[in-house]
Amino acid sequence: MSADATGGSAGEIPFRNPGWAGNTGEFDLTEEQVRGDEYVGVIPADGGHPGASPARPFILAEKDPSAPLFEGPYDERLKKILSRYPEPRAALIPALSLAQELRGHISDETMREVGEMFGLSHAYVRGVVSFYTLYNRRPVGRYLIQVCTNISCGLCGAYEVLSAFLDGAGTELGEMSQDGLFTVMEVECLAACGFPAAVQINSRYFENVTVADVPALLTRLRSETE
Amino acid sequence: MAYPYTHGSEVRILSKGWGDPRARTLEGWKELGGYKGLARALELGREGVVDTVKASGLRGRGGAGFPTGLKWSFMPKEKGGPHYLCCNADESEPGTFKDRELMRWTPHQLVEGCLIAAYAIQADHAYIYCRGEFCEANLVLARAVEEAYEAGLAGDDILGSGVSIDVTVHQGAGAYICGEETALMESLEGRRGLPRIKPPFPAAVGVFGRPTTVNNVETLAAAVHIVRNGPDWYRQWGTEKSPGTKLFCVSGHVRRPGNYELPMGFPMNELIEDVCGGLHDGRRLKAVIPGGASVPIMNAEECDGCELHYEGVVERGSMLGCASVIVMDDSTNIVKQVRRMVDFFAHESCGQCTPCREGTTWLSRVLLRIEKGQGTEQDLETLIDLSKQMTGTTICVLSDSAAAPVVSSIQKFKEDYLSLIRRGKAVGAA
Repeated sequence: MSADATGGSAGEIPFRNPGWAGNTGEFDLTEEQVRGDEYVGVIPADGGHPGASPARPFILAEKDPSAPLFEGPYDERLKKILSRYPEPRAALIPALSLAQELRGHISDETMREVGEMFGLSHAYVRGVVSFYTLYNRRPVGRYLIQVCTNISCGLCGAYEVLSAFLDGAGTELGEMSQDGLFTVMEVECLAACGFPAAVQINSRYFENVTVADVPALLTRLRSETE
Repeated sequence: MAYPYTHGSEVRILSKGWGDPRARTLEGWKELGGYKGLARALELGREGVVDTVKASGLRGRGGAGFPTGLKWSFMPKEKGGPHYLCCNADESEPGTFKDRELMRWTPHQLVEGCLIAAYAIQADHAYIYCRGEFCEANLVLARAVEEAYEAGLAGDDILGSGVSIDVTVHQGAGAYICGEETALMESLEGRRGLPRIKPPFPAAVGVFGRPTTVNNVETLAAAVHIVRNGPDWYRQWGTEKSPGTKLFCVSGHVRRPGNYELPMGFPMNELIEDVCGGLHDGRRLKAVIPGGASVPIMNAEECDGCELHYEGVVERGSMLGCASVIVMDDSTNIVKQVRRMVDFFAHESCGQCTPCREGTTWLSRVLLRIEKGQGTEQDLETLIDLSKQMTGTTICVLSDSAAAPVVSSIQKFKEDYLSLIRRGKAVGAA
């Protein structure tokens, strides 16, 4: 292994950060293989096996803030989730995640609806929602870009990466871009500290992200929209 | 093909399948000897499994280093209702990035570990509390759970043994404190993740009011290999008190950061200089945080000759934690980094104990004042005083964790603070 294998130089390979630990030239997997797309396969609409049902991505590009909650396959998923816990209250957090998957954020109205279904007060549900950082209280862009600036990423240039995303997306911290495509946020440790800067975009991780990678990443996201 | 950044000093046991997409699948995991540990556990019997893990000397990999077999033995022998296993997969200690790798590359390793532990503690249900940010790992893990059910390895009558264990992947929603075991259980019950007062301990009253054991991902993964190969095999690596291999997560100012699986007791100098390729050109080592953001900072002298096992790091005035080694070179402004960590703790404080809720915010403000050149020497005393009041005064150790880097950095890097204070005064006087 050569001493200069610190992530390679940017340029030749447009997307060298598909969620793996750097491109050393020895790592000949495709992005899909790294992410496990083939293994995961198509996620059944009804959530698949009940043991897997609470573990589904809840940050999707397609959102419908007025979609009805827990109808059709979503109702089946909720029933499966409820079957896994001895107390229905334990399904509250997975149910809120389902609601966010569908609607993109958790509004007061969503909290009320979920609370009524569980027989829990609005104050209780609001208390839970406000405790957890993954719940968006306001609508977010099609792509939610979360840049880690905690110590390890911060030591390796994450603040510059964050600025580059803000500039490239044409928005301010925590705000949605005018075209509705991007919301850029600064987040705490994403547990990818050895591969800085770590960036989570919707449900995907991008690692070893440098300032030079940001324009290509944004271009890629824009092209995925078309 | 290999996982990036492998090194000859490594002993890849837990990380053997990393970088190989086939190792994810049930078939691929079986080719690597997968589920032999589970079969062996069923032969050994519950007490046999606990005794094996006790004899191996395995210590919890979530940070505290508590002996795993002993923890399992605290669970009641007589069952008066359901028992639960919670796998703590809420990895969020800054500097730690091993559990996500374990889950996304070798999900069956964790499922097998959960089944073995659940069997040993007579748990009816194993909940894997996986961090919400890990969408990709969650999906991989969820698929592995499905495969395990399809193959009769989970659910009713596992491998025809009459033993039934359910496994559920539970996705968190973003809160560092939920990595604290009692907060994790609160969160699993659908509440805010507020740590509980102990006692009662989880083995008596845990999740849903029932006896519960909480184990880290890496602990459960290690248990698979221990049960399969025996305690003596595991003890060929590491030291008497800290046996086995450990995933070292190295980040910060080194040429080749990454996860390295090394025997416990590996020398820190060799880890940084050889395994991680050393620091960048012309840079000298300034400080290391050896166990994630919540342990005291070490200076270069303390790092020199330090052996990376639980006792070795304590001897040098810090803690191994989850072996999350954050390396800082001489370009680092320690005050800024400590402030960044304290900001994190202020953000993640659950808010139920006053010394932590208020203390973390005060620390952050005072540190920022110093960083901006508006501090005084009196501020250092304020920081020390605050830190003392935040240590040992709260329900959980988040408060202590926030104070640790502040106190240790003032002790060891006082000149960094004083130079900022002096520079500020000089600018103010001009």
